[in-house]
Amino acid sequence: MDAKHDVLVIGAGCAGMRAAIAAHDAGADVAMVSKIHPVRSHSGAAEGGINAALGNASEDDPEKHAFDTVKGSDYLGDQDAIEILCNEAPGDVYELEHWGAVFSRTEDGRIAQRPFGAAGEPRTAYAADITGHVLIQVLYEQVLKRDLRVYEEYFAWKLVVDDDRCQGVIAWDLLHGGLKTIGAKTVILATGGAGRLYTGTTNAYACTGDGMAMALRVGVALEDMEMMQFHPTTLSPTGVLITEGCRGEGAHLLNSEGDRFLTRYAPNAMELASRDVISRAEQTEIDEGRGVDGSVLLDLRHLGAEKIIERLHGTRELSLTFALVDPIHEPIPVRPGAHYHMGGVDTDVDGLTSLTGLYAAGECACVSVHGANRLGGNALMETITFGKRAGRHAAEWALSNTAVLVPPSVEADSERELRALLGRAEGERPWTIRDELARTMHENFGVFRREEQMQEQGRIVERLGERYQRVFVEDKGSVFNSDLTQALELGFMLELADCMVVSGLARKESRGAHARPYDYPDRDDESYMRHTLTTLDADGRAQLDWKPVTATKWQPMERTY
Amino acid sequence: MSEAAVHTEAATMQVRLKIWRFDSETGERALRDYEIDAPEWSCLLDVLDIIKDRVDGTLAYRKSCRMMICGSCGMRMDGAAVLACKERMKPIVDSGHVPVISAMGNLPILKDLVVDMEPFWSKMRAMKPWLQPGYEEPPARERLASQEQMNVIHKEALCINCGCCVSECNSMESDPDFLGPAALAKGMRFVGDARDGAEIERLEAYNSEHGIWDCTRCYFCTERCPKGVDPRDAIAKLGAESIKHGIDRDMGAKHAKWFVTSAKTTGWLRETELVPKTQGVVSAIKEVKFAMGLARRGKVPPPFPPHVAEGVGESRALYDLVSEQGRDGAAGIVQGERALARIEHTDEGGARRDAPEITPGETPPHAEG
Repeated sequence: MDAKHDVLVIGAGCAGMRAAIAAHDAGADVAMVSKIHPVRSHSGAAEGGINAALGNASEDDPEKHAFDTVKGSDYLGDQDAIEILCNEAPGDVYELEHWGAVFSRTEDGRIAQRPFGAAGEPRTAYAADITGHVLIQVLYEQVLKRDLRVYEEYFAWKLVVDDDRCQGVIAWDLLHGGLKTIGAKTVILATGGAGRLYTGTTNAYACTGDGMAMALRVGVALEDMEMMQFHPTTLSPTGVLITEGCRGEGAHLLNSEGDRFLTRYAPNAMELASRDVISRAEQTEIDEGRGVDGSVLLDLRHLGAEKIIERLHGTRELSLTFALVDPIHEPIPVRPGAHYHMGGVDTDVDGLTSLTGLYAAGECACVSVHGANRLGGNALMETITFGKRAGRHAAEWALSNTAVLVPPSVEADSERELRALLGRAEGERPWTIRDELARTMHENFGVFRREEQMQEQGRIVERLGERYQRVFVEDKGSVFNSDLTQALELGFMLELADCMVVSGLARKESRGAHARPYDYPDRDDESYMRHTLTTLDADGRAQLDWKPVTATKWQPMERTY
Repeated sequence: MSEAAVHTEAATMQVRLKIWRFDSETGERALRDYEIDAPEWSCLLDVLDIIKDRVDGTLAYRKSCRMMICGSCGMRMDGAAVLACKERMKPIVDSGHVPVISAMGNLPILKDLVVDMEPFWSKMRAMKPWLQPGYEEPPARERLASQEQMNVIHKEALCINCGCCVSECNSMESDPDFLGPAALAKGMRFVGDARDGAEIERLEAYNSEHGIWDCTRCYFCTERCPKGVDPRDAIAKLGAESIKHGIDRDMGAKHAKWFVTSAKTTGWLRETELVPKTQGVVSAIKEVKFAMGLARRGKVPPPFPPHVAEGVGESRALYDLVSEQGRDGAAGIVQGERALARIEHTDEGGARRDAPEITPGETPPHAEG
């Protein structure tokens, strides 16, 4: 064992850093492991904002926030968790402000809030269109203030389980090479999403679902893995995120005929309908020949240069750089792209998984507050509220339990496995498998899903898994061997794809992000108002189980916008 | 999946570039040529991805968000720091130029394009970069602050810690301990924050050796910043705030103050008095021999009688005007939102720093192509 801590957080984005801060403040010795420097984390790319019923822009309260979230989740969210999120959200946002977060302000000096999709009130607190960046910075500042240990550029690869509890992690030291074992009384997974499973995605290269796969490999169930959110406004051709804040500020979506086509899909909420609804509307327009080069158009021109420059400066910068389009003068070409995984590691409201000592928070977890469709602005809020809760709970447990044991055989086995991979003298390069996986997931498991395509995708994933057994790492060196870590990431993603397809096939209904218009166009609360759970069987293939949805006060209703 | 491989239907171009490779295990350094096909919309990062996938898996560089916000992919193109994800390759290919890619400057190279960022972060930590609100108990809700107050630190808050400014910093090249543009911009982010209560302590610390006055004002940091942070502006604001609060013991501060005094009294820079006013009389005496040499070649005007410019009245009036406006300290330097609008966006001629403000209804230069 190379080091030992009370609480070890894997991943250092918003959820990870918030968890580490909470664990430290609860008295624990805490450290973070991250494959990239904390401020590089993909939380920083969140643009639009963070939802809390502060009531700065209208009369608002946590109950309204909770109802919008329950409805937005298409009644798959667990209502106890959603109530916790919405009740704790305002206090958690004030805390970020007290730490120095540079929020935009109202006329009277309060935190500014803007309208967001499927929200009954303007509830999304924001910092221009760089809210995630501002939060990542303020959290890292608080990490520095507390002098918390960060194992920077350590690639977490395996969880150590002994005596039926999680006792640490085995990680590859990217800068210097070599496996390092870090023991811990509790481990918190906060590794983010897995958007890299798709060709068109807003997600960073780092978003390869590492934590979900690590949990899966030690027998912890993944929940609702079929629920991948497609964001309606990703920039063509690269997939870069164009914030929902644009529509919050009043932007229109147009088809090739110049029509605001949402009049036919969401006549009341229009551009501020839920993300799943708008993504399906766009895809339908594109499929029926009313797209523009495979995209629709996001028109900001009527907002005027001043508002665009002041509140959507980052959006303009992205659009100018990656599409050569100035939104002051031309509409932005956008299309649906893989954005956020509602599914993830099955946890309770304190982030605890079924394995003692193992927690998860943020996008890699499924508490579940987002159910079948996440509302814009709720992801950042979840990272903070549930990151904090997981950190506090993990610290309390760690402080009342002492021994950490990593059997030497665990380290030796990992070393042998790694040397075998690096020792392979020939085989298939990872990128061919990776590109085929991402392309086929997009084709067969995208905005709309068909039974036969999902079955085909299951076979493709299996074949890719077989090819992965011969994957060839060309770089044999020890310093910054990203060729090795990218191969390990691909192994993670293949297992997650299997879980997604198995869950998708089992859910014979249309709910939120899981849309089956050709065979099961309706929501079926009788049979499917429940969560899918996937684990690995003895052969390493995904197997399915179910878990009930927790309802407190809201009964399912028809969902229209 | 690499972005480049996603859009196989896109038109492609043939990209040539050279990369300075470095193997820290053997110490071997070599400039290698690469030639690949890439989609026309590719940025430098996409090209590196194609090379790593298909040509040489050992090529090392950092990347993550590929949307100019994570700050991972700072490197040099033709000797100037860039974010690889922001540099479109098509204009370069069209011009026939073969760019040379290398690791950032002023930071030790670990492998190929990967540098050791620890010196960067240790300077950041030295700034005590966290809010020190100066109260025991925070208010029940948010602390009130106007948008105008927050705008003061808007540019500094945009910093993504990519290191491009540090890479190009001339002062750091001669003094590796210089705090540097990124850390000092972070310092201004707190000094300028109306909610921070540790302004004086911060300014004292940033005024020490290797601090704000060691900046040579070459503006390379501002020139190369991919986010429009303008670190040199931040350093200027810290200097102005220091003088406003009487923190002026450093020679740099005295130097700046003498410029003001000299311009106000004579309308000229009285260079002969600059040295004693900056360094003190004792120290200045040691420079007499050097000064005599300069004087013999006509480089030093005689100090007596002080030469007063013909239009000194104008200079004095300007001084009085600025004094009346109360624009001392950082307020005299803030450029605010108008500067933001002038951030350079693309190499294809998007809004540039030196371009006038784009007004609604006008077509920007790039839209014509």
